[in-house]
Amino acid sequence: MKILIAEDDLTSRMVLGAVLTKWGYEVTSTTNGDEALAVLQQGDAPQLAMLDWEMPGLDGVTLCRELRRQKSEKPLYLILLTSRADSNDIVRGLEAGADDYVAKPYNNEELQARINAGRRIIELQNQVRNREKLQGVLEMAGAVCHEINQPLQAVSGWVELLLMDMEPKDSNHEALSNIKEGMDRIGALTQKIMAISKYRTKEYMDGRRMIIDIDQSSTH
Amino acid sequence: MKKRILVVDDEKQIRDLYSQAFSKAGYSVTVAESAEEALEIVDRKPFWVLFLDLNLPGMNGAELCREIRNRHPMSIPIAVTGYASLFELTDCRDAGFEDYFTKPASLNDLVQAAEYAFKKLERWRKR
Repeated sequence: MKILIAEDDLTSRMVLGAVLTKWGYEVTSTTNGDEALAVLQQGDAPQLAMLDWEMPGLDGVTLCRELRRQKSEKPLYLILLTSRADSNDIVRGLEAGADDYVAKPYNNEELQARINAGRRIIELQNQVRNREKLQGVLEMAGAVCHEINQPLQAVSGWVELLLMDMEPKDSNHEALSNIKEGMDRIGALTQKIMAISKYRTKEYMDGRRMIIDIDQSSTH
Repeated sequence: MKKRILVVDDEKQIRDLYSQAFSKAGYSVTVAESAEEALEIVDRKPFWVLFLDLNLPGMNGAELCREIRNRHPMSIPIAVTGYASLFELTDCRDAGFEDYFTKPASLNDLVQAAEYAFKKLERWRKR
């Protein structure tokens, strides 16, 4: 899983980064709030971010507030790192949109436990999103395929009728056979689409758009 | 005397298509564009082999199948549908369908299904 760190102190950043990497996470380090914001706005941004409270420029709390204001579609779990243990400050942090906080100096076990809690939440949110996406896909697929299958049956069937009466050596036989083959392929495609049971995507053309990977998503 | 088939589909293109396919194979075909019309027809004279679209206006194909089986338990209704994911095979069997095809169906397959259905009827009548 990818984790973003926003920490202006060099040593703290290195230590935290090393610990997270040791635990198997893919770490993106940033030194201030603006940098962190930029990274988190990208398409493949980490879903868990550890933000130092005190940073020059955009501080951790303000960053949380800004991230929540932007209401990203993808779930984002924010952990504030703070030496402030005052209850008021904790409330401020959570109200600003942080999901949790870790008091500095932190012990590794607690850090790991809180990150695991964040992972559970992220996993749950991703599952719900995927289920909703899949539901949307299925609803669209059902409607579209039904609409397509009707005229497809007409075209496919009438070509089949024509071919029944035709000798293979007839000059139109090849053309009609090709039409029939094209229709059969469309028919196989609608069957696959109607058997979609998972939400799997793949890159499309320039790689900037994602489309459903019909083969991977279908149980056919 | 020719064996008779009833085709029920709300789209004329499909009715004409199946009609031609079954006629070519030697059957006498009657068509209906709704479940209600189909029931009027079978009440006048029974049809033993029927091809029903599931997605009909008014009463749907599954209910039609139940109605027909109630009136003529020996009849063999066969479902042909474009809505494959909404009406699963088990739902069709529950409704009383003998078999189930998804559109686009090969005409050859449908004709073979009709042949098989009539063979079954012959075998049942001989007992």
